[in-house]
Amino acid sequence: MTDMNMMEKMKEKAGLVQAVVSEAGNIDDVIDYAVKLTLSQNGKSIAANGLNAESTNRLKELCIASDIKFIDPPYRNHLEGIHTALTSADWAIAETGTLVLDASSEDLRIATMLSETHVAWIPASRIKPDAESIASYLREKMLVFPSYMSFITGPSRTADIERVLAIGVHGPQELHILLLKENPS
Amino acid sequence: MIQTAQDMKTYRDRIKKALGNQFLRKAMDNFATAYKQSRAKAFEGIELDVLKQQIANGKDDALLQVLSLFNQFKQKAEEAGARVHLAGTALEANEIIASIGKENGVKTIIKAKSMTAEETHLNDHLEREGFKVTETDLGEWIIQLRHEGPSHMVMPAIHLSRQQVGTLFRDVTGKPVDLEDIGKMVKVARKELRPAFLAADMGVSGANFAVAETGTIGLISNEGNIRLTTTLPRIHVALIGLEKLVPDITTALRILKVLPKNATGQAITSYVTWITGAVECGSSQTDKKNLHIIFLDNGRLGLARDTVFSEALRCIRCGACSNVCPVYGKVGGHTLGHVYIGAIGLILTYFYHGKDNARAIVRNCLNCQACKSVCPVNIDLPHLIKKVYANVLKDEGTKPAKNIMLSAVMKNRKLFHAALKFASAIQKPLVQKDEGVLRHLPFILGKDHDFRSIPALAEKSFRDQWPGIRHEIKTPSYRVALFGGCVVDFVSPEQAIALTRLLSVNNVQMEYPMGQSCCGLPAVMMTEEETAKELAIQNLKALEPLSYDYIIVLCASCGAHIKEGYLKLLAKSSDLAEELQALHEKIIDFSSFMVNVLKVKPEDFLHNKDSVAYHSPCHLCRGLGVTREPRELLETAGLDYVPCKDEDVCCGFGGSYSLEFPEISAAILHQKLDNVEKTGAGVLVTDCPGCVLQLRGGADKRKSKIKVKHISEVISANLKK
Repeated sequence: MTDMNMMEKMKEKAGLVQAVVSEAGNIDDVIDYAVKLTLSQNGKSIAANGLNAESTNRLKELCIASDIKFIDPPYRNHLEGIHTALTSADWAIAETGTLVLDASSEDLRIATMLSETHVAWIPASRIKPDAESIASYLREKMLVFPSYMSFITGPSRTADIERVLAIGVHGPQELHILLLKENPS
Repeated sequence: MIQTAQDMKTYRDRIKKALGNQFLRKAMDNFATAYKQSRAKAFEGIELDVLKQQIANGKDDALLQVLSLFNQFKQKAEEAGARVHLAGTALEANEIIASIGKENGVKTIIKAKSMTAEETHLNDHLEREGFKVTETDLGEWIIQLRHEGPSHMVMPAIHLSRQQVGTLFRDVTGKPVDLEDIGKMVKVARKELRPAFLAADMGVSGANFAVAETGTIGLISNEGNIRLTTTLPRIHVALIGLEKLVPDITTALRILKVLPKNATGQAITSYVTWITGAVECGSSQTDKKNLHIIFLDNGRLGLARDTVFSEALRCIRCGACSNVCPVYGKVGGHTLGHVYIGAIGLILTYFYHGKDNARAIVRNCLNCQACKSVCPVNIDLPHLIKKVYANVLKDEGTKPAKNIMLSAVMKNRKLFHAALKFASAIQKPLVQKDEGVLRHLPFILGKDHDFRSIPALAEKSFRDQWPGIRHEIKTPSYRVALFGGCVVDFVSPEQAIALTRLLSVNNVQMEYPMGQSCCGLPAVMMTEEETAKELAIQNLKALEPLSYDYIIVLCASCGAHIKEGYLKLLAKSSDLAEELQALHEKIIDFSSFMVNVLKVKPEDFLHNKDSVAYHSPCHLCRGLGVTREPRELLETAGLDYVPCKDEDVCCGFGGSYSLEFPEISAAILHQKLDNVEKTGAGVLVTDCPGCVLQLRGGADKRKSKIKVKHISEVISANLKK
């Protein structure tokens, strides 16, 4: 599969499970997206993980200008106050529309579990066709313990009452995926 | 809490009650239909058979070395900071978990859904020990609040309506709940359970995988409660059956590729979590998670060494065997299981929860093979269910009277056939003229059995008519023998007569070996293995498979049993190995013979375009794997085949099943006939005389216009010559 096909497949499969997938040119676009989305949802706070110092400062400034609280770690102190989690992802699996995150950091876990909205960005070059393609990467991560690896596919969901699909049980109610065409490193 | 019927009388009462639950019936029905569609979609483009076999082989390999995988896992996980325990029994597992709680001053526990914890009745134990336990999976929370067990392994509260759940939530929260709005009910759970997550001292989960190579546990979930359970509290305890051990991540990913698709038709669940060792945890004094991993034996090590039952340990708990089970679809999981539900539940209950809980439920299997065909790890579930039933009978030391009678009569072909002829003579006053059914139920059957007309025995059996019908063909293109089976021979000889006509027109020399008897499947169903073996040997000798090109069957059940069952029964009879192999290869169903061997052509038939619906017998489509040929044959023979919903779902006959569980048999039959009536076809065609009896009896009883025919009859009737 070419990168282009992989991106299309990722969009299609993640879309099927109610993730919102968009493309972004660079990390500034990602930050703007997260702030706008938070404002549109009337959210009051953002926790960010994986941004470099420069981007973090930019996000902080935007937050101040938009009257949004930028939450500093540790997030243990904010278990009930995170509206938006803005994080990177390590890999994506096109076949199922899945994001793969090394969530060994507790802050990353708390942000992606207890927020209302999770916005994740991933460089398009890190989209792989299927889970088998990242098996050796997973194995490496597991051998360097302790570790907590997460596959995330769409927002939290249930069908436990009359098999009716309902979104947002215990995890985020929305998942937004931004595919970065340019590698931000 | 869970009270499973331990005798047949109580069980029959429970069944009647379940059948009367209209919501349950409708919910199960909708589910069965939706599941099949979404599963098929999820597996599009995947070579499932290859994948299934790979996973099954991988599981078998892992089971052979389960203790060394355990040791490897323990070493790796403990290096990574976990503590790994091995619990011999359910009680031991519960005690280990309670003592971890006590040693660490735990008061509140949150739980992620775990069938293994259900198996050990962990919640009851922890509550008796003074802990406050909250289930966090929505379905599990609902049934915990109702003090019930799960009614499905994946969707524990599938038996409840939104109104029941809404009322429950209203009572629990003391706040008004919209009884129609499921979305809002889900938000009630989100809001109510959040404080429990934040306050809990300990989280308890199960796991779907234990990866030995790295000491990693893998957990799948949709709601996100497992991630919270394994992250927020300072202690995490994972309780895992030993059979969840896999050697490496690649094996785990292969199972992951199939599990959610087969369970709910999802490509993957929302979350898959892989935990290796004691991760960072701010609520712990050491800043590290206090992680305990407890492996449960509870009979698994013994089971892993059992030559017959070890394959039950391949189960990955997808729940699909319930999803496709026609009995589950009528009575639900509380009536078809104990803790474990559905086909695998009928088996595991005996091993994990004892024969008293298995005694009644293990009999509730139609042997329709739907579970076997959907099982992602190729467990021969119907076969193992019968084997468990045999064990129960053996443990109890008494056999039902019918077993003793059946064995005595069937072992002696002449006695058996004489008894049938005698019955044919004495039933005469009861027979309704021209209809081939009895006017009254025989006195031994109660009114529960009055859902179908009972067929009359033929005045003259096929074997008695055969010498008068036999044609000698000078230079035949094929020489074939017919294996008639009891129903064709003694109830419906017209089906064999139709075949005789078709074969002679097509220049095929047919014989009817007189030494043949019952195929033996009824004996297998009653767990009379010795009788079944004797019958298999009798038939194998009588049919002389080395002397014929093909052995034709008109009965799919006989055919599948002779083809596959005989191999199992006679595996050790080396003196008949050549004949056995020949029989295995030469046995063929009517439609396959017509289409694939004779290659009959449209020009041989009248084209009256009568519209016919088709019922696909369990032992034809799943037992013999024949699906294309009968449908093609109907079209070739100038008939208009009209597809019908759920053609491959059992008709509810199941031989003696319909006598043991008449209410369930009737419910399945009615649904089948409802579906057929909706097609508007005037004739329902099938290729198993047992199905014909059930469907014709049911159609007659409800005065339906549908005529039920064996496929040999309709094809023969459309012959030009």
